[in-house]
Amino acid sequence: MTATLDKPDAQTAPAEIPSFQVTLRIRRYTPETHGEEPYWQDFTVTAHGTDRLLDALHTIKWELDGSVTFRRSCAHGVCGSDAMRINGRNRLACKALLKDLDPSKPITVEPIKGLPVIKDLVVDMEPFFASYREIMPFLITTGHQPSRERLQSPEERARFDDTTKCILCAACTSSCPVFWTDGQYFGPAAIVNAHRFIFDSRDEGGAQRLEILNDKEGVWRCRTTFNCTEACPRGIEVTKAIQEVKRAMITRAF
Amino acid sequence: MQIHQYDVVIVGAGGAGMRAALESSSRTRTAVISKLYPTRSHTGAAQGGMCAALGNVEDDNPEWHTFDTVKGGDYLVDQDAAEIMAKEAVDAVLDLERMGLPFNRTPEGRIDQRRFGGHTRNHGEAPVRRACYAADRTGHMILQTLYQQCVKQDVQFFNEFYVLDLLMNRDLSGETGDVADGEEVAVAGVVAYELATGEIHVFRAKSVVLATGGAGKIYKTTSNAHTLTGDGMAIAYRRGLPLEDMEFFQFHPTGLAGLGILLSEAARGEGGILRNADGERFMERYAPTIKDLAPRDIVARSMANEVREGRGAGPNKDYVLLDLTHLDPAHIDAKLPDITEFARTYLGIEPYTEPVPVYPTAHYAMGGVPTNVEGEVLRNPRDVVRGLYAAGEVACVSVHGSNRLGTNSLLDINVFGKRAGISAAEYAVRADWVELPDDPESSTVAELEEMRARPKGERVADVRRELQQTMDTNAQVFRTAESLRQALTDIHALQDRYARVSVQDKGKAFNTDLIEALELGFLLDLSEVVVIGALNRRESRGGHFREDYPDRNDAEFMEHTMAYRRPAGAHIDDPVAPAPAGEELPVFPPERPSVLLGTKPVITTVYQPMERKY
Amino acid sequence: MTTIPAPNTPVVRPSRRTSRGNWELYGWVFMRASGVVLLVLIFGHLFVNLVAGDGISAIDFGFVAGKWASPFWQIWDLLMLWLAMIHGTNGVRTIINDYAERDGTRFALKLALYTAFTVVVVLGTLVIFTFDPCPANSPASLLPSFCTA
Repeated sequence: MTATLDKPDAQTAPAEIPSFQVTLRIRRYTPETHGEEPYWQDFTVTAHGTDRLLDALHTIKWELDGSVTFRRSCAHGVCGSDAMRINGRNRLACKALLKDLDPSKPITVEPIKGLPVIKDLVVDMEPFFASYREIMPFLITTGHQPSRERLQSPEERARFDDTTKCILCAACTSSCPVFWTDGQYFGPAAIVNAHRFIFDSRDEGGAQRLEILNDKEGVWRCRTTFNCTEACPRGIEVTKAIQEVKRAMITRAF
Repeated sequence: MQIHQYDVVIVGAGGAGMRAALESSSRTRTAVISKLYPTRSHTGAAQGGMCAALGNVEDDNPEWHTFDTVKGGDYLVDQDAAEIMAKEAVDAVLDLERMGLPFNRTPEGRIDQRRFGGHTRNHGEAPVRRACYAADRTGHMILQTLYQQCVKQDVQFFNEFYVLDLLMNRDLSGETGDVADGEEVAVAGVVAYELATGEIHVFRAKSVVLATGGAGKIYKTTSNAHTLTGDGMAIAYRRGLPLEDMEFFQFHPTGLAGLGILLSEAARGEGGILRNADGERFMERYAPTIKDLAPRDIVARSMANEVREGRGAGPNKDYVLLDLTHLDPAHIDAKLPDITEFARTYLGIEPYTEPVPVYPTAHYAMGGVPTNVEGEVLRNPRDVVRGLYAAGEVACVSVHGSNRLGTNSLLDINVFGKRAGISAAEYAVRADWVELPDDPESSTVAELEEMRARPKGERVADVRRELQQTMDTNAQVFRTAESLRQALTDIHALQDRYARVSVQDKGKAFNTDLIEALELGFLLDLSEVVVIGALNRRESRGGHFREDYPDRNDAEFMEHTMAYRRPAGAHIDDPVAPAPAGEELPVFPPERPSVLLGTKPVITTVYQPMERKY
Repeated sequence: MTTIPAPNTPVVRPSRRTSRGNWELYGWVFMRASGVVLLVLIFGHLFVNLVAGDGISAIDFGFVAGKWASPFWQIWDLLMLWLAMIHGTNGVRTIINDYAERDGTRFALKLALYTAFTVVVVLGTLVIFTFDPCPANSPASLLPSFCTA
C-alpha cells in the first residue's frame, strides 16, 4: 500500500470543482522577437472557483506560451513581486481572485505604470527603490546602545503599526497620477516608509526625513487622489500617512 | 561575460544572507547575489515569532530552550549547536530590536512573548511564553529590518542574479579523481546568470556564503514560494558536497486546506483549537499535556491520522478545522491580522464565526548543506571546505534534528547567519586568493545553451507537476518502503524526461522560462536525495514517519545521513550500514550518477535520548 | 578576459533633491489660509454689493466710487485681488506641473500664466489706488454725493 491520505475519498466521490473559461488580454513587450512596440495578446484558459489571476498567468506560461513573463514568488500577497495593472487597477496578481474580476469579459493585464518596462509585465524597479533609499529607511538613534531593549509602550508601538505593513510592491507609487507624469516625485511608498520611522518613538531621525520630504518633489506634490490607498494590497491607509507627514512638517514649521 | 572580485560573496538575500551581509560588509568587501529583490525573500512569509528566553513575561532560561529544541528534534539535534543557538537567541532578539524591529510590547514597554509549539517550561511541564513577535508578521518585520540595515550600511546587492555554479579548486564530484580526506579544498567563487540581460558573471571570492533557503517546491502542497527550489543545496550537491538529513522535511500542520498557504502556529499559541468533523479537540488524545501546542510533526501526523480514519471535515472529509471562534475578534485583529485575512481572501471563510479548513503543508527542510557551528561547510564528516559557508534553511548545522520547533528557523537565520557572516569575513581577511579554474563559466554556459537550443520536447510544467504529485503521494507525512520505491521509480523516469525538456522562450532578456527549467533540474536531484534518505532510514523519527517502522531506533539510526552524488562505482568513507535482505538501497545503473549514503555522528552533550511524549 | 573590480555597481546618482529650503510648505499652507480668507472677502463683497440696502438695484458708478473712496474698501478689494490671483496662479502652476509632461510645454504654459498674473495684478492695483471718484465734467446725478464740483 502507499501512504496516501485519500482513502476517505474512495468512499465519498470528490465534490466537482466548478470551472469556467476566462480570457486574459495581456500587454506584451518583447523587443527581442516582436520589435519595440508593445502589443496586446489574448489568451483563454480554464480556471477554477478560487483561482487567482496568478494561477491563470501560470496556466498561460506553463501550457500556452512560455515566453509570457512576469515576476512572482510567495503567491499569497506577502512578498510584493507581482504587482500589476489588472483591469486598470493596481493589484497583486496573487491576491486578485478571478471570480471577483468579472471573468465574462476579457481581463486586461498590464505592467504597472511609470516605471520602465523590461519585458511583458516586468518593470525596472530601480527608480522605485532609489526613492525608498533616499528617505533613510532605517532606525536612527544617538547615544549608547542600551544593554536591553529600548522601551516602547503598546500605544507608541501602535502609532506607526499601519505603515510597518509595507511590502514595497510599488502598487501605490505606480498608481499615482503625479508619479506617472513626473518620475521625480518620491511617491507614496517612500513616504509610507518615512512615516514608519518618523512616528516610531525610538527614532531620532525624524527631522532629517521631514527635511528630505519637504522637497519640491516631496509630500507637497500629493494631490490626495487616494489612488494609492485603493491600490495598497496590504490595506495601508497610504493617503492618511502622507497627510500625517504633512501635518508633522507644518507643526514643525509654525 | 564579466568577472567580479569580492572578498566575500553571499548567495541569497533572505534573512540569513542579509544577517551575514551586515556582519561581513562592515569587515570586508562584500557582495550579495540574489535571484530575487531582497525584500521578496521567503523569510518575509514567516509569521509567528522568534523564540528567545528573555523571560520578559514569565520565568524562562536558555537551558530549557535548548532542551525543548533537542527533544523537539527527536534527539537528532547536535546539542552543542542547539545550546549555542538558545544562548545567543537573547542577543539575536535584542540586536534586531536595536536595529528597529517593531516587536509587540508588554504594558511595561518590553518585548512581548507568546506561546509556541514545543516550547515548554522546565523540561516539558507546560507551554511557556518564549516567542517574541510582531503580530503575525514577524518574518516580514525581520526581513524589512535587515534590508533597512543593509541600505544603511550601503551593502552591495546584485539583484536578480541567479547563481548556477559553485567554483572550488578541487573537483569533489569524483569525475576526475577522488580527493582524499584531510586534503585541502578551498572555494574560488561562483558563476551567476543575470536575469535582465542573460549575461554570465563570474564572481571570484575568498569566501562564499550560501544562504539560498529551502526546497519546498519538491512538494505540491507547500507553504513555500514558487522560487524556493533548493538552488544552493543542489549546486553544492552537484559539485560533490554532501547533503545532510534530507529525508527530514517538516509539514506544517495548519496550511489552508487545498492551497497550502501558511496559517501560523501562533493561531494555536493565542488559543486556537484543532477540531475534527465531530468537533472533538483531537489533540487531547495525541498529546495530553500540551495538546494543540505539540511540535509540528506530531500535530501534522495526528491531523493526517484523523482524516485517514474518516474523521476529516468537509465534503470530501479531507481536512480538519482550526477553530478561532471562541477568541475575541479584537484579540484576533491585534495578534493574527494577516492569517485571518488569508482565510477571508482565499477561502471566503470568516474566522470570527467559522472554523478554518486546514491540512498539513510542506514547510521546511530540516536537512541541507552540512556545516559546523561556525557556518563552515563540511565535505565529509570531518573536513571543511575552506572559505565556504552556509546559513539558514539551506544549511544543516544541525539545530533542528529531525523536526524543527516553530520559531527556531527565524532564530537559526539570525544566530547562524551572523556567525557565518563573521567567519566568512574573518577568513577572507587572512586568506589568500584561490585561482579560478580555467574557463570557470564553461560548463554553465554549455548547459544554458544546450537547454535553449533543444528541439521541442517535454514541457517543464508537466514534469514538475508529476514530480510534486508523486512526492505528495508517496513521500509526505506517512511513508513506507513501497511508497518510497514508487517515488524513486517516478523520479528516475522524470529525470529521463527532464533530459528532453525544452523551453519556448529562446531570448536573453528576463527569460523566466529558462530559469524554471533549471530550477526543475535542481528539484529532481533533491527529491531523489530525500527519497533515498527516507528509504534508508528504517525507523520513525521527528518529521520522518515510516509506517513499516513506526518506532524510533536509536541503536541503528542515531546518526545523521550524509548523501553524496558520485559517479557509478565510486565509494565513500563512513557508508551507512548495509540494509537487511529485501530492504537494499537501489543500485544505480552506470549512466546515472549514484546517490551514496554515509553517516555523521550526532553530537550529544547533556541530554540522553528519552521517549518523546508531550 | 579583463577583471572589473565592481562593475554594475549601482550608479551613485547625484541626489536629485537640490531644492531644500523651498517654498512648497508655505505654498501649501498659503493655499489653505488664503482659501479661508477669500471665502470671507468674496461673500462679504457679494453681500454688500448685492444684498445689503437696496440690493442689486443700488449699483451704479456712484456706488462703486463711493466704496473706493473709503480706505477700508480699497484694502478689502486689494486683498481680494492679490489673494485670489496668487491662489489661482499657484493652483494652475501645480496643475501644469502635474500634467505638462514636456519641459518645453511646461515652460510655455508657465510663461503665459505668470504674464497673465502680472498684467492683472498690476492693472488691478493701479485702478484701486488711482481711481478718481469725481471725474471732471460728469453729470452730478451719476456721481457720489460727496463730489461737490
